[in-house]
Amino acid sequence: MSDVVYLDNAATTPVDPRVVEAMLTCLGVGADFGNPSAIGHAPGRRARARVEQARAQVAALVGAEAAQVVWTSGATEADNLALLGAARFYRARGRHLVTSRTEHPAVLEACRQLEREGFEVEYLRPGPDGIVEPPQVEAALRPDTILVSLMHVNNEIGVVHDIGAVGRLCRDRGILFHVDAAQGAGKLPIDMDRDCIDLLALTAHKLNGPKGVGALCMRREPRLGLVPLLHGGGQERALRPGTLATHQVVGMGEACRIAAAEMAAESARVGALRDRLWQGLAALPGVTVNGHPTRRAPGILSVTIDGVEGESLLYAVPGLAIASGSACATTSAEPSYVLRSLGRSDRLAQSSLRLSLGRFTTAADVESAVGAIGSAVERLRAVAPPGERP
Amino acid sequence: MSGEDPRYGEEVRRRMATLPGAADLPPGPGLIVAGAGDREQGAEVLLQARVVGGRAVALSFRAFGCPHFLATASWLTDRLRGHGRTEFEAWDWREAAAALEVPPSKFGRLLVIQDAVRTLARNWPGDDPSTV
Repeated sequence: MSDVVYLDNAATTPVDPRVVEAMLTCLGVGADFGNPSAIGHAPGRRARARVEQARAQVAALVGAEAAQVVWTSGATEADNLALLGAARFYRARGRHLVTSRTEHPAVLEACRQLEREGFEVEYLRPGPDGIVEPPQVEAALRPDTILVSLMHVNNEIGVVHDIGAVGRLCRDRGILFHVDAAQGAGKLPIDMDRDCIDLLALTAHKLNGPKGVGALCMRREPRLGLVPLLHGGGQERALRPGTLATHQVVGMGEACRIAAAEMAAESARVGALRDRLWQGLAALPGVTVNGHPTRRAPGILSVTIDGVEGESLLYAVPGLAIASGSACATTSAEPSYVLRSLGRSDRLAQSSLRLSLGRFTTAADVESAVGAIGSAVERLRAVAPPGERP
Repeated sequence: MSGEDPRYGEEVRRRMATLPGAADLPPGPGLIVAGAGDREQGAEVLLQARVVGGRAVALSFRAFGCPHFLATASWLTDRLRGHGRTEFEAWDWREAAAALEVPPSKFGRLLVIQDAVRTLARNWPGDDPSTV
């Protein structure tokens, strides 16, 4: 087993052993390995039943029904299918979309593709607390706005948007509302009906499920039109053709079932650990939290540690698996666009860390992290040129 | 996962383990100092050398920056020990780039260190009153 303290659960999570067990029942001779579209024989029908059970489990996590769930390869594909699919389908209604500057690249790059196709996208700047407030969204809406996209929980700083308020103002105006719920689902309650969400993107690997599977949940009524990204055998109502990976979707279903059942207790436990982590780091001079102090998901803590360069800090804590304030999706040393959107200077953005806790994080992990970061900060500050000190 | 981060070569890893040369030289005759870079830009270095008989008999550094930058500053404190002003003036960042396997995206940071080395040469004792 690894001797590294894993605090990068916002990047991905280990698969829960219960999920592994469920997936294994869909692999190998005698298991439910069949093609779920091949319902002419028993193995196919058994696989189909497992897929449909998983669909219901995913739907239940977000207040939806099974028929609203379309399987994808992850949240990136789900975001792309939602944004590109809806915009292309409804382009005759209007060509204006609204989103925020701190969305995941899966949304931002899909929006840029739409711009290349002639759509106009307004990128809202969050406040210094990292949150785009509903009145900002409302002010950006136009008669030709066809879609608003706003993430539930920000993947870098963990702040939580008021999805319900934005959903209601979109619903009142007949504007589609898309939510990237990759980071929030399973950690915080979200309900497609209550929150007036038309399109909701999920991925399994952020909630202790397998990588390579996700889902796009679509509103129940009236049915939405989407132009598919892929063309093929007609699976998933022709919105996402291709043979379903039964073991993957069953794994996602089980992960969602567990997350729903344990959400309240687990969020409280993880939130308490995050608070203890912050308490420990805040004792160091020059450490500030990024994002709103209270409107945040339980598992993500982003901090800026002044007077320390982020890459060297990461290097100096080899026993910790954590993320820096550099661009999350690449190995780039570019400062995080999310932190810059909050008004952080490049230097402070580079001096930032994201620590993200999860189901298997322990109090001992938190104490180890506090100790290791404290030692590294002290050492790196000691070798820095004299001058302004935190 | 193997233990070694492939972004960092052997010399960077060795240097970062203890950062040899990270210190201040004690004040006294023959001490010269030079700084370069800007913390806002992510790389700042302060080099110190003690010059005796026209040679740098001891060097030290303080630095703020990435591991490649810190390791290069540390490496220089050994590389330039025993050399005279001419070698300081002629020192080129490309030598460090090769020795420490610095990726091209960070070459600009090595120029910061080169600036500091050349400033040390300008501050060489006997030539400039900036000698401490």
